[in-house]
Amino acid sequence: MNDIYKISLEEWQRLVGSLSSPYDIFAPVRKEGGLDYSLINQETAGDIVYNVAKPASPVKIFFLPVKLNVTVPVNHLKKTIIIGAPACDIAGLKLLDKIYLDEKFFDGIYLERRNNTLIISSDCYTIQDHCHCTTYGINPYSADGCDINLSSDKEYIYLMPYTEKGDLFIKEYIPANLIFNTGENKIDTISGLRSQAVNSLNDRNKNLPGTEETGESMKHSSKETWKKYASKCVSCGACSAICPTCTCFLLIDKPDFEKVKQLDTCQYPAFERVAGGEDPLKELSIRFRNRYLCKYVWKPERFHTVACTGCGRCIEACIAKINKNELIMELTP
Amino acid sequence: MRTDNLYKVIKASVEEVIEESPLIKTLVLTPESPFRFNTGEFIELTLNGYGEAPFTPSSSPLITDKLEITIMKTGYITEKFHKLKPGAVLGMRGPFGRGYPVEKFFGKEVVILGGGCGLAPIRSLLFALENVKDKLKRVVLCYGSKTPSDCIYKPLFSRLNTIDKFETFRTVDKPEPGWNESVGVATILLDKVNMDIENSVAVVCGPPVMMKFGTLRLLEMGYRDNQIYLSMEKNMSCGVGKCGHCMMGEFFVCKDGPVFTYEEVKSLPDLWK
Repeated sequence: MNDIYKISLEEWQRLVGSLSSPYDIFAPVRKEGGLDYSLINQETAGDIVYNVAKPASPVKIFFLPVKLNVTVPVNHLKKTIIIGAPACDIAGLKLLDKIYLDEKFFDGIYLERRNNTLIISSDCYTIQDHCHCTTYGINPYSADGCDINLSSDKEYIYLMPYTEKGDLFIKEYIPANLIFNTGENKIDTISGLRSQAVNSLNDRNKNLPGTEETGESMKHSSKETWKKYASKCVSCGACSAICPTCTCFLLIDKPDFEKVKQLDTCQYPAFERVAGGEDPLKELSIRFRNRYLCKYVWKPERFHTVACTGCGRCIEACIAKINKNELIMELTP
Repeated sequence: MRTDNLYKVIKASVEEVIEESPLIKTLVLTPESPFRFNTGEFIELTLNGYGEAPFTPSSSPLITDKLEITIMKTGYITEKFHKLKPGAVLGMRGPFGRGYPVEKFFGKEVVILGGGCGLAPIRSLLFALENVKDKLKRVVLCYGSKTPSDCIYKPLFSRLNTIDKFETFRTVDKPEPGWNESVGVATILLDKVNMDIENSVAVVCGPPVMMKFGTLRLLEMGYRDNQIYLSMEKNMSCGVGKCGHCMMGEFFVCKDGPVFTYEEVKSLPDLWK
């Protein structure tokens, strides 16, 4: 088991406030529209919400901004700390790394942002209506993929480093006299909170099939079910924008041979249209199906990992109220 | 390919514009530095500030100081490319993807079925095959176009017919006065070629409908799935398997293709869409 470092909530908040000068720190705070990442400063360090599911935005937004000039180097990218990324997003980030840090064609801009960022993931002790990470083999707490994992109770923050970067951060910034040895009973408390979340997720999603079964059902599905659900879809692309693993983009040309990468989605018409006019995804139901086949069949075949982390954001974001879990249950006998 | 940044171009100037047919032109480009590619690989050609599009060079992979790109006018960016004059400066990214595995053709007969602007990558392949003709048994080109006027690279056919082991057959959908070759879709030419199928490979490149029926005909003739090479046309954009526009099942056409065997892709849903 990795070392666990314990610091009082008050000292932690003071530390985060003081680090908001050398770092850009983003963490979930309650806003009018719900919980989402906000740039933290001295005054707002106490507003950070810990250990609840989940910020409205997926953590991908820090590495794949909606728009980014990829031909002009960014000078002096400020070092960044993300606090409170949920485990589902950390799982999504692992897939992003496989795509963007491909050995042969690694994306230097993505790598720079990854290297420049310290990720402190946090356990989810409360879950939301559409959370279903455990159905897809992801626990509501991170055991790897982040630099540090954060757990908390009313008095203390518990930090567990998983990378050298995380280790160095703790050693550099947390004064030794503020670190307490973790008592076994506190670890038991955290374990209990984690188990409750897992049980609650498992219970709520007990009828939802796992990823392999879902993928197999999709491969052999009838077009009629897709058409039924797609009939409500308006191709707005919200499901992709909010998805922690949807990474498709468009390259837009600017003068001086500059190129701007802009997030795109296969849900938009003409995404795959070629110059001759042929468009494999012309039909809305085929386009709608494409996103799910990509997530449950093709990405697993390609990257050996399902491209849905069970965060449920696509269900919450859909203006047509399409619930992909209802679709999946209908597809799976 | 630039390894410092996947999205940055190298510049190339337009040296000549060749009108191949009413809808197809070839841009002869001089890259700012020697440009090497394997036949069948593609590049992204950028018109500064407007956009970029994928093209497989139609020139010989043995030539590194010049590059020829054959472009059919079909939309916004290709129309802009057609208006270019010598001296214009373009950007290039690449080469990308997996081209034709020429070494696998050694000792075999090669039948190539092409249609329309699909002859562009095929011309590059023919140059590459000509260079290794001693290692090949026979190369047969079957090409179809809409009309005789739409038939591109006219001098190529007469030249190929003078090369030992090379044969060509052409067909058009609608003949014009003076046309004395075949009439009908490209696949009818396969009935004339009399290949030693067991010891042969087939290459297909053209519009989707020709790819589909060409492949089905080759299968009927007895070609096995792994003997048929398809050059897939998709909306390749980034060129490096990230942007998703060319995903075809689990494959990124830009990275895993554009050349696939039929065996690799036959189980994909809506393959010919």
